[in-house]
Amino acid sequence: MKNIYKPQEAIVEDIIVESSTIKTFVLRLKEPFEFRTGQFVELTLPGIGEAPFTPSSDPNIKNKIEVTIMNVGRVTSLLHTSPKNISLGLRGPYGKGYPLDRFEGKDILIVGGGVGLAPLRSLLFSMFAEIDKYNKVVLRYGARTPDDIIYKESIPGWAKIKKVDVVTTVDVGDAKWKGNVGLVTTILKDLPVDLKNAVSIVCGPPIMMKFATLKLLDFGFKPQDIFLSMEKNMSCGLGKCGHCRMGRYYVCKDGPVFTYEQLKELHDIWD
Amino acid sequence: MHQIYYIESNQLNILSRKLKKDYRVFFPVTEEKNATKKTDYSYRELTVNEPFVFNPYRTVEPLKTFFTPPLDKAAEYFNQEGSIEDFPKIIIFGVKSCDIVGHKVQDFVFLEGVEVDSLYRLRRENIIFISSDCTDFKEVCHCLAWEILPYPTEGFDLNLSPLNEGYLVETGSKKGEELIQQYKEFFVIAKDTQLTARKVKRENLIERLKKHLLPQHLVSKDIVQRLIKEGYNLDTWQQFMLTCVECGGCNFICDTCHCFLLMDKKEGNINKKLKAWDACLYTNYAKVAGGANPLKTRTRRLRFRFTKKFDFFVDNLGMPACCGCGRCIEVCPGKIDIREVLKDLAKKLSVKT
Ligand code: SF4
Ligand code: SF4
Ligand code: SF4
Ligand code: FES
Repeated sequence: MKNIYKPQEAIVEDIIVESSTIKTFVLRLKEPFEFRTGQFVELTLPGIGEAPFTPSSDPNIKNKIEVTIMNVGRVTSLLHTSPKNISLGLRGPYGKGYPLDRFEGKDILIVGGGVGLAPLRSLLFSMFAEIDKYNKVVLRYGARTPDDIIYKESIPGWAKIKKVDVVTTVDVGDAKWKGNVGLVTTILKDLPVDLKNAVSIVCGPPIMMKFATLKLLDFGFKPQDIFLSMEKNMSCGLGKCGHCRMGRYYVCKDGPVFTYEQLKELHDIWD
Repeated sequence: MHQIYYIESNQLNILSRKLKKDYRVFFPVTEEKNATKKTDYSYRELTVNEPFVFNPYRTVEPLKTFFTPPLDKAAEYFNQEGSIEDFPKIIIFGVKSCDIVGHKVQDFVFLEGVEVDSLYRLRRENIIFISSDCTDFKEVCHCLAWEILPYPTEGFDLNLSPLNEGYLVETGSKKGEELIQQYKEFFVIAKDTQLTARKVKRENLIERLKKHLLPQHLVSKDIVQRLIKEGYNLDTWQQFMLTCVECGGCNFICDTCHCFLLMDKKEGNINKKLKAWDACLYTNYAKVAGGANPLKTRTRRLRFRFTKKFDFFVDNLGMPACCGCGRCIEVCPGKIDIREVLKDLAKKLSVKT
């Protein structure tokens, strides 16, 4: 019987610098591995520690995943100073991921903040691969500064895909920045979506998720049509260790994607 | 379906030593020699010539220590881990009704859900519970308040009820029945008069326990979830938190608390994942790498422990995760009493208990 705590080995094939605090790690798996977009994995720095991440790559690519990681804690800062070709441990995939079948035939609004675009990139790739299934894909992305924007080279290309509409903004611009300046909520108006047939998907820092959700409710989205990626302290990823509990749910096994309808009665969800 | 047998005390002494051949045998012992004094019992492994000790109520330590020790090896990785080590067969005597009910929570967490914890399952399969009726109780005992009787009715392999110079032995599982068959020369079928005597003894203890509990006006099973939900924003949490020193004792000693943290360690060339008990009363329990901490105050952490027990588990398992063993009350250096916390909610919400 399999040991659920034992990670498989993944080799860091490449490391891509996205911003001064964010890198994307390209991992090659030794054993067959598949995930659904929005599911997460636990990455182990051998002998040191483990942390949860949602892959940012296309789930249609097998045996290779990309994980975009911000340098924020003990494990991530050590990962950021690690060289290529080291082995990491990988457990998962865990959680439910995005219910793509519920998105088909709809106007899809995707709202990202900062490194929160990482899981959303995986979602975007899945949608781009079958773009005919969706009415349109509208991306609204905000980062703190132009340097904090991730996937800088790719975003202009996404905007050129048919049915895809992209607007970005930064909280604080710099000399070279010619685009929008303001919080992501400032670009959540006059949204080109038909509310009767639309869903929205939000991922970013808790405070951004909170205000984006309020804005979307205001705009007219129904709570069951707002999908949120929740972040909580996680250890096991399997609904056993207790850490990620939010009300009656475990974020690891019942989420990490929830509709606002599921969460709206719970206390302190944005803390 | 449950068969009931009788065994004499001196025969049980001999049997428990025989069992040592095939099992590691644990049973509760006390340092206190005076049998009339209330004292604490702890599990110890049976050595060769000890007489069998009957514990009138539960042990100090929770049953979960046999299944998830405080620091456990969860996995080795990047090497060919030998198939999971052979786990010795264990018999535990003296398990009480509250322990068995509390243990349902551990079983639910580790045996059900998205995946099974294979090490837990291995241990579960290799451990035999020989439970026993309570013949006395501690001040903190409040099983009855949760509608749990002070004698086991299910979930045991064998159950002992002391009677005169021996014990009635009830089978509760196939494992238990097989054990009896293996040593059938030690047992006789119980007589009806003995069964009646057991019933009387059990009823007497329930009466005594009721006398102890009724004046306390404890919160009952059917209103507890409502109290927790409606009392979320009361100042109860703030008040009771004041004496909490965040030792985690209430979590560690509780038979239903199951939280753990996976940790990584290198020993020589071997990478290991360890599973260490964790406590939701600890400051960093819910802190995320970025620094946010939804449980940043003691008030929130104390409340979290209660919402887990009386809201989360009622929703997810259909029962509150408290069996009334009172261990957390005894252990708390801050004198925080779970009975009083719940009663305070009821009082402030004007709900009759
Ligand atoms: S709580 Fe009840 S079952 Fe548990 S030891 Fe006390 S009297 Fe016995
Ligand atoms: S909460 Fe306290 S009384 Fe209830 S099962 Fe846990 S230790 Fe026993
Ligand atoms: S045992 Fe008491 S003092 Fe220790 S963490 Fe629990 S409530 Fe706080
Ligand atoms: S991460 Fe362990 S229960 Fe969710």
